[in-house]
Amino acid sequence: MDTDAILLSLKLAMWTLVLILPFGVWVAHRLQKAGKSKSWIEAALALPLVLPPTVLGYYLLVGLGGKSFFGIPLVFSFAGILIASLIVNLPFAIQPIQRAFEAINPEIIEAAQVSGLSNWQIFRLIELPLAWRGITSAAVLTFAHTLGEFGVILMVGGAIPGETKTVSIAIYDRVQSFDTAGAGVLSLILLGTSLIAIAISYGVFGRQPSRSKERGI
Amino acid sequence: MLKMTLSQATPNPLQLSLECTPGELHALVGPSGSGKTTALRTIAGLNNAETGSIECNGELWFEANEINGITTALSPAERSCGFLFQQYALFPHLSALENVCIPLYNSAPEPGKRKAQAGQWLNRMGIGELANRMPSQLSGGQQQRVALARALARSPKVLLLDEPFSAVDAPTRQGLYKTLAELRKDLNIPILLVTHDLREADLLADRITVIDQGVGLQTAAPQVLFERPRNSRVAELVGINNKFEGVFTAGKLTWNSCNQVFDVLDKGKIPPNTPVAWVIPADGISLHTKPSSSSIEADVEQISALGQIAVIQLLLNNATHTLTWEASAAEVKRLELEVGKNTHVQIDGSKIHIMPLRTINDPRRFTS
Repeated sequence: MDTDAILLSLKLAMWTLVLILPFGVWVAHRLQKAGKSKSWIEAALALPLVLPPTVLGYYLLVGLGGKSFFGIPLVFSFAGILIASLIVNLPFAIQPIQRAFEAINPEIIEAAQVSGLSNWQIFRLIELPLAWRGITSAAVLTFAHTLGEFGVILMVGGAIPGETKTVSIAIYDRVQSFDTAGAGVLSLILLGTSLIAIAISYGVFGRQPSRSKERGI
Repeated sequence: MLKMTLSQATPNPLQLSLECTPGELHALVGPSGSGKTTALRTIAGLNNAETGSIECNGELWFEANEINGITTALSPAERSCGFLFQQYALFPHLSALENVCIPLYNSAPEPGKRKAQAGQWLNRMGIGELANRMPSQLSGGQQQRVALARALARSPKVLLLDEPFSAVDAPTRQGLYKTLAELRKDLNIPILLVTHDLREADLLADRITVIDQGVGLQTAAPQVLFERPRNSRVAELVGINNKFEGVFTAGKLTWNSCNQVFDVLDKGKIPPNTPVAWVIPADGISLHTKPSSSSIEADVEQISALGQIAVIQLLLNNATHTLTWEASAAEVKRLELEVGKNTHVQIDGSKIHIMPLRTINDPRRFTS
C-alpha cells in the first residue's frame, strides 16, 4: 500500500492550509477596500477555478523550472508542488473569507470605530470572530481540494515516490498498471481520510471562536 | 461646547452651522434624506465634509477649506463621541456586558476593572441582570439600552443620537425618554438628537435645528420655532396647519384671494408689495356666534374629536381657504359647533407671523 503517498498528501494539505489561510484572510480583508482594481484582482484570483489543470500546470512548470522565480529549480520537488497547490487553492481560500467579511454590517465596524478601537483591534476583536464561519469554510475547502488535486500536481511534480507522488497520482498509477484492487483500496482511504479531515476541520473550526474570556474583552 | 460649520455638495448636499452647549439637547429635525444623519456622521468622523470645521471643547476635530482641502481630520477613535445608531449596531458575537467593555478596551486595560465599569453602566441603564445575554436574546428596548450604555461608557465629549427611538414601541420609548432626561442632568455634555418626529424633538430638545435638503433652515427653541418659523418651508416642515399666502405692505397684510386685510407688526425688513407666507398660531384664532366688523364668516367643514380635544376645520365663506382650529370639547359645546353650521372667525393680527415665501426646490433662499 502507498503509505508514503497518503502521508505526502496529508503533509501537502496541512502545509497548504497553514500557509494559505493567513494570506487568504489578509487578501480577503484588503479586497474590501480595493478600488477600481478590485474586479481585476478578483478575476486573477479566480483563474485557477476556470483554467484547465494542464494550462495552469504548464505555466507553473515553466515558471518553476530552470532557475525559477526563486533562483533554484522547484519542479519535481515537494516545494514545487506546494507552490502549485497554494496557487491552485487561492480561490478556495479567499472567496469564502471575502464573502464573510462582506457580510458584516458596516455599521458594526463604525460602532467599533467610534468606540475608540484601532484598526488592528477592530480586525482582531470584531471582524475576525464575525468572519469565522467563512474562514472555516475556506479551511475545509482548501484541505479537501488539496487532498484530491491531480492534474497540476502531476504536471509540476511528476510522480516521485515520497517527494511528489500524492495519493491521487498513486491511484492513477495503479489504474494504469491494471491494479484495480490497489486503486480501490487507495480510493477508499482517500475518501475516508477526506471525510475524517473535513469532520475534524468542522470540529476544530466550526465552533464559534473563543469567547471573550480568552480574547481578554 | 460643540461648534461646527459644514459644507459639501456631494454625495449628499450639506450646509449647516450649529453650536451645542454642555448639557444642551439639540435636535436636528427634517424629512427623510434631509442630511440629518450625514451631519451626525460627519461630527463623529465617519464622513468628512468638503469644507468647514468641527470643534469640541476648544479641540479642533476637523478643518477643511477650498484651497488646502482637509487640513485636520481626527479619526472617529480620536474624537471621543458617543454614537447611538438607529439600528443599535451591537456586536452580535459579544454579550451585553462585552459590548459595553469594548469602548473601555483602551482606557481600562485590566479586564476585571473593565467589566466592573461596564457592569455599572448596565446597572445605570436598568439592565444589569441582562449582562450575559447575547444581543439576539434582547428585546429592541433592551438592545437600545445596551447601545446607550456602550455609547456612554467611554465618557464621551459629545453624545450623538441617530433616530434612537424610531424602532421601539411607545411604552419602551417613554422609558427611554425618562432615562435620557435623567442622564442629561448628570452628563453635562452636548447631546445631538436626530429625529424626524417633531413631537419628540419638542418634548426633549432645548433647541431645534430644522434641516432640509442638507441646509440648516432655522435654529430656535421649540416654542419659537412653532410660533415664528423663519420661512414658509420651515412652517411646512414643523407641521403648521394654518399657513397662508398674502401681500405685505407697510404693516398691512392682504390675504390672497380674499379681501381681508390685517394690521401686523412691521419690522421694516420686508419691502412694500412683497408676496409673503404667513402663519397664525392657535391662540390667535377665536370663534364667535355673532359677527363683528373684522370677523370672517366660515362654515364648519369637519370636527374630529380626539378625547377632550377637537380639531375643527373651517371653510371660509369668501374664499377657498381652510382654517384648522383646536378647541376643548366644552368650547365646541359652548359655541354649538356642528358640521355645516355657520360661524364667525376672528384672527388676531398681532399674532400673525409673516415670512418670506420659499419653495422646496429653492433651498438656499432666505437662509440668513
